[in-house]
Amino acid sequence: MLWNYLKPVLIFIPLAALQLVMVPLITVLDVAPNLILILIVYYTLIYGQIFGIILGFVLGLLFDLISGGMLGASALAFTVAAFIAGYFYSENKIDINTASLLFVIILFLCGFVNSFLYSSIMTDNPDVNFVNLILDIGILPGLYTAVLGLPIIIFKPKKGLI
Amino acid sequence: MLNFLRRFIYQFKEYILFVLLVIISLSLLASNDKPEVKRIRTFALGNFAVVNSLLNYITDLFKSNPSYYQLKEENARLMLEINRLRKEGIENENLRTMLSIPDTIHYKLVAVDVVSKLVNRVQGNFILNKGLSDSIRVGMPVISSKGLVGLISDVTENFSVVKTLYNSSLNIAVTVQNINVDGVLSWNGHELIIKNIPTTYEINVGDKVETSDFSSLFPPNIPIGVISKKESLALGLLHTIFIEPYADIRSVSNLFILKVVPSKQINQLEMNLMK
Repeated sequence: MLWNYLKPVLIFIPLAALQLVMVPLITVLDVAPNLILILIVYYTLIYGQIFGIILGFVLGLLFDLISGGMLGASALAFTVAAFIAGYFYSENKIDINTASLLFVIILFLCGFVNSFLYSSIMTDNPDVNFVNLILDIGILPGLYTAVLGLPIIIFKPKKGLI
Repeated sequence: MLNFLRRFIYQFKEYILFVLLVIISLSLLASNDKPEVKRIRTFALGNFAVVNSLLNYITDLFKSNPSYYQLKEENARLMLEINRLRKEGIENENLRTMLSIPDTIHYKLVAVDVVSKLVNRVQGNFILNKGLSDSIRVGMPVISSKGLVGLISDVTENFSVVKTLYNSSLNIAVTVQNINVDGVLSWNGHELIIKNIPTTYEINVGDKVETSDFSSLFPPNIPIGVISKKESLALGLLHTIFIEPYADIRSVSNLFILKVVPSKQINQLEMNLMK
C-alpha cells in the first residue's frame, strides 16, 4: 500500500520539473496544460477516491512549495479535482476509465475545475472578472490538459510501469 | 452512540476526508505570511530550483552564447538611458547644467536567467537563478532589454521569485509620459489596465507609460509599455487605459535585476500592501 503512494510521489519529481521548465515553452497565451493533474486523475481512477484525495492534497502541497506559488492553493485545487475524478472510479471499469476517451473527458472536467479554482484562489484583485475569464482560466487549460492526456489512452502504460 | 459514530464515519469517510483536507488547505492559505511557513517555502523552493536549473541548463545548451548576454545587458542599460533622456529633453539638460545638478542616476544591473515559470492567467511568477548570495533582495525591480518585467517577491540563497506584470496582485504607480498623468497599473487577467483617469486629460493611443516618481516600489522612469486603447466609462468622466508592455513577458528568458532597494520603511509598507 505504501508503495502505491510512493510511486506517484516519485513520478511527481521529474513531472514537476517538466511542468515548471518545459511546459512554459508550449503555452499558448498563458494557457498551459497541467501534467501533475494528469498523474493525479490517472491514479484516482485506478485506486479510488480516497487515494486520489490524499494524493491530490500531498502533490498539491509539494507543488506549492517548489513553484513559488501560494501555499495551499494547488493543494486545494488538486484535492477538489481528485474528489471529482473519484466519482468516476469503479473497480470493474478501471481499464475503460483509463484507456478510453472517457479518461480525456474526465481529465477535461477535472482540468477545468482545478484551473478555475486555482486562479480564483490566487487573486484578490477586484478588476479580475472571473465570469469573463471562464474560457481563459477554466475551459482552455482543461482542454489543453485533456489533449496531453491523449498519449495515455493511445500508449496505455503496462501494469506496474506507473 | 459509538457504533452510530463509527458507522457514520465509515459511510461518509470520503466526504469527511475531503472536508478535512480542504480545511487544512484553507488554513495554509491563510498562514502564508507566517515566518515558519516562509522558511519552509524558502527551503523547498531553493532545493527544487536546483533540479529546475539542471533541466533548464539542458535546454539552454541549444541557445547559450556569452556575448549574447553581454549584448542584452548593454541593450537593457541603453534602454534605461534612452528613456531617461527622452523624458528630460535638451532643455532640461541645459537647466541641469545651469543649476549644476550632477546626474547621479546609475542603476547597477545583475544579469539573471529564468529557471522556471509558473504559468497562470492571473498569477505570473518566475524563478530566477540569483539570490541572496548575489545581494538580491525582496523589492528589487526586474527588467528585460525592452522594459519592466516585475518585482522580486521572495529570495532564497541562490534563487529568487519574481512577480511579473501579469500578476493580479502587483499594482504599480505609473505615469503617462507626455502629459505626466499618474495612475495605478494592474493586471485584470486579460490586459494591463490603468483605471479612473479623468477624460479631461488628452490621452492618445501610442503614448508611453513608465514608472512614476510616486512609486516607492520602483525607481522612476523605467519604461513599461504604450497605450494600446482607451475606453470611457458609462458617465464619460473617467477613462480606462489599456497598456501593451514593451517586454514580451511570456517568452523572456534573460533578465536583469536593478540593484535598487527603495526606502526601507516605505518599502515595507508597500510590500504589505502588495500581499
